[in-house]
Amino acid sequence: MIEVRDLSIQIKGKHITHHIDFTITRGNITSLIGESGSGKSMTVSALLGMLPDDAKVSGSIMYEGRNLLDASDQEMESVRKQDVFTIFQDALNSFNPSVKMGRQLYAFSGERVGDSLPVFNEKMHVILEKLGLSWEVVEQYPFQLSGGMLQRCMIACAFYVEPALLIADEPTSALDMVLQKEFIQLLIRLNEEKGTTIFLITHDLDIVAKAAHEMVVMQQGRIVETGKVETIFSHPGHAYTKRLLKSRF
Amino acid sequence: MIGKWIGKRMVMGLIVLLIVSFLSFFIMQAAPGDPATAFYGGNAQTLTATEKERITRAYALDRPVAEQYVAWLGETVKGNLGISYKEGRPVFEIIRERLPNTLLLFGVTMFCIVLGSFWLGTVAGMKANSIWDKGLSTFSIATSSIPPFWLGILFIYIFAVSLGILPSSGSGDVGGNGGMVDKIRHLMMPASVIIVTHVGIYARFLQESIKRENGQYYVKVARANGVMERSIRNGIVRNASIPYLNYIAMTIPSFFGGSIIVESLFAWSGIGQLTVKAVVTKDFPLLMGSIMVTGILVVITLFIVDLIMYAIDPKLRKGGIR
Repeated sequence: MIEVRDLSIQIKGKHITHHIDFTITRGNITSLIGESGSGKSMTVSALLGMLPDDAKVSGSIMYEGRNLLDASDQEMESVRKQDVFTIFQDALNSFNPSVKMGRQLYAFSGERVGDSLPVFNEKMHVILEKLGLSWEVVEQYPFQLSGGMLQRCMIACAFYVEPALLIADEPTSALDMVLQKEFIQLLIRLNEEKGTTIFLITHDLDIVAKAAHEMVVMQQGRIVETGKVETIFSHPGHAYTKRLLKSRF
Repeated sequence: MIGKWIGKRMVMGLIVLLIVSFLSFFIMQAAPGDPATAFYGGNAQTLTATEKERITRAYALDRPVAEQYVAWLGETVKGNLGISYKEGRPVFEIIRERLPNTLLLFGVTMFCIVLGSFWLGTVAGMKANSIWDKGLSTFSIATSSIPPFWLGILFIYIFAVSLGILPSSGSGDVGGNGGMVDKIRHLMMPASVIIVTHVGIYARFLQESIKRENGQYYVKVARANGVMERSIRNGIVRNASIPYLNYIAMTIPSFFGGSIIVESLFAWSGIGQLTVKAVVTKDFPLLMGSIMVTGILVVITLFIVDLIMYAIDPKLRKGGIR
């Protein structure tokens, strides 16, 4: 679905990623794993066309036959609006604190796909119920909800939008263990029920083991290993991957 | 909830007024000069000791300051602001004549400043690195560094002396039958001076606030997910206007201070000019009255700003820091 080739990102003379290559396969959950500062989040920004203005970037990100790095701002905006949904790490700050959740959920989902408010209300009601959230959240402000609830609200929007690609950038790192597990279950459900392709960025191998089909291991801006999760778990090739796996058990 | 909140604000406003009255009363007593002499006016040397004593006793100026203050406060609470030494008329009456002019000047300038700075600040803040962004920074530094009295003199020179199109002073036709057009003509220069010297700095504050808000996490999340730009902008402006309103509230007292100078310069017949006159003539009851009225205006304005903030900031309403 997405093929990243020879992608290098440089910011203020500092190399963030070095000639990285990986593929996100349609219908799969592909996980990008690496330690903090390895360039994972910048890679996501490059995919979304949201790199800082002073970033220099080379290589290609092929999506449906076109290179996203050559796309104009308007084209990228339409890709972000129509094809991709992104869930970020910090759920507590992902919503505008002074707007009620209902209005914001609509902006993230119904309005995006062109549904009217009544249609949105009906559809979102069902989704929230399915995700164990009460309809009352729409009447509340973000600061009245917990991080776990807000992250579930985000995934509710993903269920609504049914994007071609869901990017989840460390979505569980701010959640406690129980909520992490629940959230990963929801991601798997989205993948299985709707066939959504998911690109899951994490530094937690347990999450990769539980959720992902394929994995990409990143270290200091380079891709050191890619492949099927079971294969890498049973026969890790690179020393860094071996170290990661060892630290897990 | 809102009732309790309003009640709290009102009590706080009353405490502020009490402190203002206390400080002004005692500072005035410490000022050099003799009120009895000032009351006499004309040539103070010709005032005999007996006459001086008579005046002093008549106005209870020989009593301890604290006693004078308590007496003044007691009467003020009842709505009696005393009699002006200089004019021999009730202070309340004099202030009532002047208040509409001050309210007009304050209302018009504040309206234009808020409207202008909101528009300028939003445009400049939303378009980072644009000509608006850089231009506003320069404009705000330039205009806020100009002393209002100097700009006033310059305006008088240009529009009254050279071009002769606007009156240089006063707040209306001498006969008082100039009507609305005449009022506006008199208002134009003092109002422009206050607007020009304030609009830039307020706009600049909003601009910075918007730029800061634009970099917030939730804005990035919304942009990454194709939320309509209009919704994002509305959210940014709404949140950025909370610190902006706070800034307005903080500068309201000095804003009134500044308008005293402008009122005096243009002989605009308002409370500001009255205050200056009362200081010069040591007219204590009048001075206390005008200070209190200015204090009440400040407190009411702050209360209105607070109400607006209460309406747009849900964290205040829900008492909700997580």
